[in-house]
Amino acid sequence: MTFVQGDRAPEPADETLRRIAAELRRPIAFDAAIDAAALQAIRAGRRSTGRRGVWPWLGAAAAALAASILLAVVLHRDPAAGASRAVLLRLVAPASSTVTVVGDFNDWNPSATPLAPSGAGEWTVRLRLPPGRYRYTFLVDGREWQRDPTEPPVPDDDYGAPMSVITVS
Amino acid sequence: MPAKTGSGGTRLSQGGPDRSPSGMTESDAALVARTLAGDLDAFAGLMARYRNSLGLYALHMLGNREDAEEALQDGFVRAYWALAACREPERFGAWLFRIVVNRCRTVRRRLRRHDHLTLLPADLPGRRGDVSETLGWREEIGRALARLRPHYREAFLLRYVEEMEYDEIARLTGAKEPAVRMRVKRASDQLRELLRDVRAG
Repeated sequence: MTFVQGDRAPEPADETLRRIAAELRRPIAFDAAIDAAALQAIRAGRRSTGRRGVWPWLGAAAAALAASILLAVVLHRDPAAGASRAVLLRLVAPASSTVTVVGDFNDWNPSATPLAPSGAGEWTVRLRLPPGRYRYTFLVDGREWQRDPTEPPVPDDDYGAPMSVITVS
Repeated sequence: MPAKTGSGGTRLSQGGPDRSPSGMTESDAALVARTLAGDLDAFAGLMARYRNSLGLYALHMLGNREDAEEALQDGFVRAYWALAACREPERFGAWLFRIVVNRCRTVRRRLRRHDHLTLLPADLPGRRGDVSETLGWREEIGRALARLRPHYREAFLLRYVEEMEYDEIARLTGAKEPAVRMRVKRASDQLRELLRDVRAG
């Protein structure tokens, strides 16, 4: 087999593979209705459209209700049952006017979990989380994503944004 | 610290091949800025710009239009809400591509119960040796791609169709670079074997 392994030559040297790659690069048109449906979902406040079935057809209100119920379940889970642990998230951001946290535990909803100022430029929020691994990041002033410097970073993620990970055991 | 998104050598990072009338002259960075300022038309321009190229990847990865369109649409919606996290707006295409690659993985996991992809109707003739007479080269490639393990298919598409460097693929997929090279090699070996008897139409 002859095959170019060099990083500078992504084109396969092999004739068959070259023909395959060329064929796979041939353009196919996708319907603009995809964009329109995405815009409709965005206008309705939906954060994702990935699941089939009833879920995609729920309106923004229903989605928000479901998220808040989920969050309420997470927050009010009885610690005596041993199913959840208290987690304190903290970020020092003295020049900020709002800080929220988005993560796997709140469906990446930017408005679900605000942090409160606790003095000296520090923002905190206390969560109760069931055991698991959670990716999260802080959203500062509604625009800037800033990961938690006290927890390990996530090297790779959906958005290419800085994120941290906590493991609740 | 923003996650690296590569050295800029991919097709998508170079601005994407698809230009819509609404995004004909504006750069990605300008459209991202307008979107962040609340202009949904600007985001429509970005979607139109990348729809075909990202859809093509999703189609090859997932094997059918319905799932590809679902992954694409979900990727667009998630990208909109996370746009503030796009640290290099001039490389919006590469950032969006990462999201769609991950959406494809999610959709693929949900489809895992199916033994094979559905790139072609199940009732098409599929015996090796005679298929080239009834199916075109493209369909044969699709059929062969669908037989690869998803990780192999992904690695092959990223390397030779999207023209990404191995280190970029490693960062994107979370795999180590030697593993990526191995996946590309095995995908290539298997495709070569699967398509050995098929001639271009």
